[in-house]
Amino acid sequence: MNIDYAKELPVIEGNPNLIDIDNVIVKPIEEKANRKFFLALAVSGTALLIGVVCVAVTLFYGIGVWGNNQPVGWGFGIVNFVFWVGIGHAGTLISAILFLLRQKWRTGIARFAEAMTIFAVICAALFPVLHTGRPWLAGYLFPYPNQHGLWVNFTSPLIWDVFAVSTYFTVSLVFWYVGLIPDFAILRDRTEQKLKKTIYSILSLGWRHSHRQWQHYEKAYMLLAGFATPLVLSVHTIVSFDFAVSIIPGWHTTIFPPYFVAGAIFSGFAMVVTVLIFVRRVFHLEHIITLNHLEKMNKVIIATGLMVGYAYGMEFFTAWYSGVPAETFVFVNRAMGPYAWAYWIMISCNVLIPQLFWFKKIRRSILPMFIIVILVNVGMWFERFVIVVTSLSRDFLPSSWGYFKPTIFDLGILLGSFGLFFTLVIIFTKFLPVVSISEIKAVVEGSQPVHHQPTDGGTHAI
Amino acid sequence: MQSNTLFAVAAQFNEPNKLIKAVKIIADLGYKKWDVNTPYPVHGMDAAMKLKSSKLGYVTLFFGLSGTALALLLMWWTMSVDYPMIIGGKPFFALPAFIPVTFELTVLLATLATVIGMLSVFFNLPNNSHPLHDTNYMQRVSADHFGIYVEADDKKFNAEELRTLFLSLDAVQVDDIYVPLKEKYPILQPKFLVFLTIVFAVTSAITYFTLNYLLYMEPFDWMVSQAKVTPQEKVETFRDGFGMRQPVKGTVARGFLPYKFMGMPAPAESLVNPIIPTKETVELGKRKFLTFCSPCHGNFADGDSRLRGQFQNPPTLHSTRVREMNDGMIYHIITNGQNAMPSYAPQITREERWSIVNYIRVLQRAKNAEVTDVQKVKKEPVKNGQ
Amino acid sequence: MSDTKNDNLDNKKPEPNYWKSFNDLYNDPNFLTSTHDEFKEETKEDFDPNKLSGLSRRKFIALLGASAALAGAGCSNYRDKGEIIPYNKKPEEIILGEPNFYASTCTSCANACGILIRTREGRPVKIDGNPDHPVNQGKICSKGHASILNLYNPERYKEPQKNRGGYFNAISWEKANNAILNELKKGEKEIALITGKIFSPTTKKLLEEFKAKYPTTKIYSFEMFDEAARNNAWRKSAGGNFFPLIKWDEAKIIVTLEGDFLGTEGHTVENQRLYAKGRDVNNINSFNRLYAIEGNMSITGMNADYRLRLNPAAQAEFVQLLISEVGGSKSINRNDFVRKYKINSKTLELLIKDLKANKGKAIVYAGNVLPEDVHIAVNHLNQVLGGNTLYRTDAAEVEQLPFSNKDELNGLISAINNNAIGAVIHIDTNPVYHFPKEYNYENILRKAPLVVTLTEVETETASLSNYILPLNHNYESWGDSQTRTGVVSLVQPVIAPLFNTRQKEAILLAWINQDAKKYSNDIYLNYLKKNWESNFFTSTGSGDFNNFWLTSLHDGIVFTNETAPSNGGNASASSGEMKFFDNKGMTLLIQEHPNLGDGSYANNGWMMELPHPVSKVTWDNYAAISLNTSKKLDVEIEDLIEVKVKNRTLELPVFIQPGIADDLVVIESGFGRTNAGTVGTGNGFDVNRLISVYDAGLSKFIYTGVQVRKTSGTYKLATTQEHHTFDEGYTKDQHKKRGIIREGTVNEYKNNPKFLKESKGIEQTSLYNLHAETRFSDVKWGMAIDLNKCLGCGECTVACNAENNVPVVGKDQVIKGREMHWLRIDRYYSGSPDEPNVSAQPMLCQHCDHAPCENVCPVAATTHSIDGLNQMVYNRCVGTRYCSNNCPFKVRRFNFYNFRSYFKDDYQMSDVFSLVFNPEVTVRSRGVMEKCTFCIQRIMKAREDAIQEGRAITGSEVKTACQEACVTGAITFGNIKDKESEVGQWKEHDLTYYVLEELNVRPNISYVAKLRNTHPEEV
Repeated sequence: MNIDYAKELPVIEGNPNLIDIDNVIVKPIEEKANRKFFLALAVSGTALLIGVVCVAVTLFYGIGVWGNNQPVGWGFGIVNFVFWVGIGHAGTLISAILFLLRQKWRTGIARFAEAMTIFAVICAALFPVLHTGRPWLAGYLFPYPNQHGLWVNFTSPLIWDVFAVSTYFTVSLVFWYVGLIPDFAILRDRTEQKLKKTIYSILSLGWRHSHRQWQHYEKAYMLLAGFATPLVLSVHTIVSFDFAVSIIPGWHTTIFPPYFVAGAIFSGFAMVVTVLIFVRRVFHLEHIITLNHLEKMNKVIIATGLMVGYAYGMEFFTAWYSGVPAETFVFVNRAMGPYAWAYWIMISCNVLIPQLFWFKKIRRSILPMFIIVILVNVGMWFERFVIVVTSLSRDFLPSSWGYFKPTIFDLGILLGSFGLFFTLVIIFTKFLPVVSISEIKAVVEGSQPVHHQPTDGGTHAI
Repeated sequence: MQSNTLFAVAAQFNEPNKLIKAVKIIADLGYKKWDVNTPYPVHGMDAAMKLKSSKLGYVTLFFGLSGTALALLLMWWTMSVDYPMIIGGKPFFALPAFIPVTFELTVLLATLATVIGMLSVFFNLPNNSHPLHDTNYMQRVSADHFGIYVEADDKKFNAEELRTLFLSLDAVQVDDIYVPLKEKYPILQPKFLVFLTIVFAVTSAITYFTLNYLLYMEPFDWMVSQAKVTPQEKVETFRDGFGMRQPVKGTVARGFLPYKFMGMPAPAESLVNPIIPTKETVELGKRKFLTFCSPCHGNFADGDSRLRGQFQNPPTLHSTRVREMNDGMIYHIITNGQNAMPSYAPQITREERWSIVNYIRVLQRAKNAEVTDVQKVKKEPVKNGQ
Repeated sequence: MSDTKNDNLDNKKPEPNYWKSFNDLYNDPNFLTSTHDEFKEETKEDFDPNKLSGLSRRKFIALLGASAALAGAGCSNYRDKGEIIPYNKKPEEIILGEPNFYASTCTSCANACGILIRTREGRPVKIDGNPDHPVNQGKICSKGHASILNLYNPERYKEPQKNRGGYFNAISWEKANNAILNELKKGEKEIALITGKIFSPTTKKLLEEFKAKYPTTKIYSFEMFDEAARNNAWRKSAGGNFFPLIKWDEAKIIVTLEGDFLGTEGHTVENQRLYAKGRDVNNINSFNRLYAIEGNMSITGMNADYRLRLNPAAQAEFVQLLISEVGGSKSINRNDFVRKYKINSKTLELLIKDLKANKGKAIVYAGNVLPEDVHIAVNHLNQVLGGNTLYRTDAAEVEQLPFSNKDELNGLISAINNNAIGAVIHIDTNPVYHFPKEYNYENILRKAPLVVTLTEVETETASLSNYILPLNHNYESWGDSQTRTGVVSLVQPVIAPLFNTRQKEAILLAWINQDAKKYSNDIYLNYLKKNWESNFFTSTGSGDFNNFWLTSLHDGIVFTNETAPSNGGNASASSGEMKFFDNKGMTLLIQEHPNLGDGSYANNGWMMELPHPVSKVTWDNYAAISLNTSKKLDVEIEDLIEVKVKNRTLELPVFIQPGIADDLVVIESGFGRTNAGTVGTGNGFDVNRLISVYDAGLSKFIYTGVQVRKTSGTYKLATTQEHHTFDEGYTKDQHKKRGIIREGTVNEYKNNPKFLKESKGIEQTSLYNLHAETRFSDVKWGMAIDLNKCLGCGECTVACNAENNVPVVGKDQVIKGREMHWLRIDRYYSGSPDEPNVSAQPMLCQHCDHAPCENVCPVAATTHSIDGLNQMVYNRCVGTRYCSNNCPFKVRRFNFYNFRSYFKDDYQMSDVFSLVFNPEVTVRSRGVMEKCTFCIQRIMKAREDAIQEGRAITGSEVKTACQEACVTGAITFGNIKDKESEVGQWKEHDLTYYVLEELNVRPNISYVAKLRNTHPEEV
């Protein structure tokens, strides 16, 4: 396949008429679920169930069932939290930043990515609560007037997290929902069943596709995108503050915010690709979610991958350059200490393997792409593991050094979080349009009028 | 369930270009109450419809800024006014540390305001009973057609003209849209109210149970009841259940050598008062006297009980017998008790007992002060009470 | 006050010169006016009832009531708040919430320290030293601190038990006594009375009476570790039955030969105190120099200025070498010796120089484990080194009842074997465990017709006896003790027996009276008083006895005017021909465990979990070997090995201990209990299997020609400190590189007192603003820890556990690294694994001014008080553990479980156990972070007192638990803003430094750098 990158590719292959688009996208929703669906649901559901059991045990007996100890106060709990928040970044990035950058190709994947964002953030949000010693007091983390007359400590990065994550979740949810309104209207007008109709009517908020609505709608969408963009950057910055603001060698670094954001996009895109590869196959959306989409995302992956690699190198340099013994020690210890295995998994998965994407063939062929992005996800999980665990396990006083070993429950909960994520994804694919219908329609060949007047807005605003 | 009042005349086109053309004409004809419906936003429509640009941005700006202010106010008030605490040696108002939260709140309020503003103000609230809904027209325009309609209550409205006009612009289809009949929602029926009350009762019951019982079961732990034994607590370990034990007979605690003359009605010898009557000690004696002695002996030791005869009155302490008693003897009586008077050793510490003795001395002296005393005092004022 | 005024109005009879108070007397005008119009404040002239609101008071009250009722019904919860049980007759000395103190004596070991027991509402809660006691002077050892846990051990026997073929069930005292008396009365066969060390004169008298009553009685007194070798040696070399105590404080040069006088031997409390006098940096010229020549790495070795690794079997030769060198007769070739044992010749050189130079100020101390002839030689050497100038003359040991020697014990065994024994009575001893397994005691015991065991808790012996008679704990008993000339101390109970138990003397009395019915709780008290009246009263007597008795109880001690007998003059006699060690094969050394002793404390969680001072291993013992030996045997740490002495074998894990002599296996005692209750059973390995009485090695504790071989499998050891003991490369000496441990030598300090401050540039400028300082009150708490005096023994840790309700977590949790000790002793090695330099450092919450933990806590559960405490608000803590992560010192402890219920399923949750908790300290739940609070409950108490007395609180009146416990006084605590105070002066001291200073967290705990007293000639 030979592609001329000089001219912009059609976002959608072939030239389906608008009705076809409706039919294709709405098909899974209107049809009865097939065996494949239930199989997938069963698998992810089992994983979720395992997670639930492990969580129940944790809640009853305490964090003791996890591997955490002195000095490693944070183990899988926070690792998973950061990991999932990272995953959560791709969606908003695609839908917001690419929107502002006028990247038409985003339309095919935006809806899906946003959905993943929300699910990822849900997974992430569980962990800060679960990892506390007394989860039933999680309410203390919010500044509400209480009988103790106590307020939260606004100088604590964890409080910043609370605000950042909850804001991020709310905003992306709103953003996603706003995007869904016209599609709900379409579903409403397609369906005949009373119940479905009522539900869709309520969800579509009486949307009438009228242009006086479209006008404000587009404005609002633009504004939301405008806010989501700095927000998405801020969230992982703040998550990185959890570490950067502390004084533990290996955490206390100014490079963390950009490094974390890059990492987040890196892992997020990898996860999106992972899932899209299935979705486009299963729902026959190859002509809407095209290879070009995937290739573009792979390019982003390699770019961010390089940034992450740079950060790894830079950390070593600053550590050495600072001349602080404890600081230098931590990094030597990462590469040579008891956790070297984790470190080298991280390096190979995040820095070395993605380099394969320099080859166009690999970029555009499904199987190798799939393997690579999976590895990237693994690598990014280990990045967080390395940061959290190695730094803590050997900090200032050699007397208090220790070794963290995860328990069956740690693993179970990690598995469970994946279970939750994919369960939500699967349910989503069944009940909501995985691609934004109205947006797609707007970018089909000849969908926009040919204007002669100078009054033409001229912008291809989507 | 359609009324026969006409709402609008609507036309459908199968191409955006045709729609644009129609729109321009309608706009030029100067209709006011009309709109177009397209499955997706068609570019250049704003211009064609001669719409002013959306004002939504101002809402966003306003609420965004108020978010900023709110955040800063909240943090300033809580951290440095309402409950200031020294945290890590930071100043109470540590601005740099407040920036993240401020930013997040700004974004939160701004976005929410935008969306809510759009729905409420600019769409004047979701309306699912709009005449266009459930019409064939609506179904088509939401799928693949491009519609335009003019409302009946537009001044220049004329159904016939419009129909012909639209057809002339080769609309695929032109149809009339009627106002649907309003249907009543049975919100306030008694059935529903009963339902509400039941829901209320159940929820409150559940809340009560949860708050009082569930929340105090395993694994929830609020450290309200701790394993340690606090004073006056019951302890099952001991057969009698007393958490507070009696010291073993015959043992001597530091500073508590047993009182020699305990139990003797009239000991031959007696202790010497170890406490010099300074102002402080006598004040202490006074407090204790008023607490423990005055109920029976009267506030000035006149033996005028405040019990109003519910208990036999003790003799006055101003009698010569008492005045000639040495301190040790009075102390002995307080400690050991005498006649009807029980021992006050458990209630009053030794120091306090001696102080009381001193205070009694003061009272006795006061009762029978000589003139010389007064002069003496006049001459040389405050001289620690003696 | 107001009601006096009213009354004064009621009965109007104020006489002219009738003054009510001094103010009145001095005609204070304000007072006069105030007395005139009573209701001045209350009422005004313009008082108008009509202006009042229409709502009558009655109606208002009614409404109030109604609303209250509603509110109550709505919001109250009906969970049982428990009932309140007040005193029905309050004792005079008890004020609720106020502690009482009782002087008594600790009977945990033969040192019999004077103690002060803190009680709350008549329940003992904490043990500390009795300051008035001349020997231990207000300090006790960790066992003493932990002994309170034994009192509240939920598994104590609650009733007498009768053995019904394997299983026991409770019977009444009367029945038990009758049964036993029947046997005793028969009286043709021998009655063997086996007891531990007896140090109570009255008990001794009692035993004699018992013997008189039952003439066939033989009394065997036995302890696993005794000073037999030393004492016999002294008898031989100097004669006399009084054995010299050493003036450690006056010695300039101290040489210990396999002797741990700071850890396990002699009166450790006294030794440590006296030794520390020679470690005072403010008196730099009186610094002593400690040489440790040892194979094991002992606490003494840890603190030595110079250490020579020498196989204990070679000590005899070494002493001879010293004698020859010092005495000038070069009968032994030093170089041969050095070559033979590969010891550091330079150090040896210095040692000999020192000994020569410091005659009269040098003392050589041989360990209890060494054979008799070595002791004789050492006595001789000391004689050469300036006679008995360093032997104390002011006091001497008093031995109430001498230990039975080996032959007597062998006699006992054979007697039992030949069925010559009528009854075996174990008085609070556990021979089945403590006797060498060679005796096969547990089996032959069956031959005895009657076996009675008097014990508090189940032991190996108890489970094999016909009758188990439950004993009172020391704190439920009366008694006395004398271990030193010139002072006798008393034991008084601080709580009535918790269970249906009696004290051993009372039981013996009952048997002597031959009346099972007659028993009263004060039966022994009367006996004791009678004995005192006849013996001690007369000796010091004046005034009536009752008075004397009460004051003695009050003080806990009585000084008798007996003088210390001479200890036999000069020990000139030199030992005869000694067999020298061929230095072939492996040597086995059996040492007393510094925490557990002989194992009688195996059932005590606090002692079990107290890390070994040197190896930091908890819950187990092990075979300690050197790195070279491990390479030779090709074993790793935690590999199992089999140690074989003749036909006696023991399999146990290896621990590679730096500083241990090569070809030497050191095993410590006290573990491998098979029947010691929930906590004590099944930890570690029983070293008694290896001890022999018949084919003795060099001594009971040293065996040569031992075979050691690696067996399959490993065994997990729980250490509180990762063993990077001999890490090379990038982990080596991190504590030095990071300025955690900063040390110097005495000479350095003499030359330039400021050397420490100059050695390392300390960041003076700060990026922080100085808000923190400005916000502190004029009392700001701080601590100074003098590392010159800290021996690393861990007494402070146990005291802290007792004071602050720190739970025991169990071996598996320690392995995970979740031990809860608020105060830990960090131990660092520097130098080579063969000749390590050991540094100990107590590490607890540093209460930083710029505490990193506070910034990161999301719920403000840890904040700073204005008197400089870093506070932990348990109720507010949600347990994010962020504070602990961000603590550079890692001193915060997290309740990963409710350890009380987690540890040995609910062992610590039992009702009895809960009595041990300090009522002033929260018992933390799971999911809560905790840490050192500087004993805030004590600070608050001091503040309350200050307020009550209407004065400002001073720094000096608060003592933290660790400070109180530290024998050497290494810890000082107080108001650092008061520059005059002791702690204030330490802060100014030249040797003071802060750990991780460069972080600028501004700790409030400062450390005084350790000075090693190296020989001036050393380069």
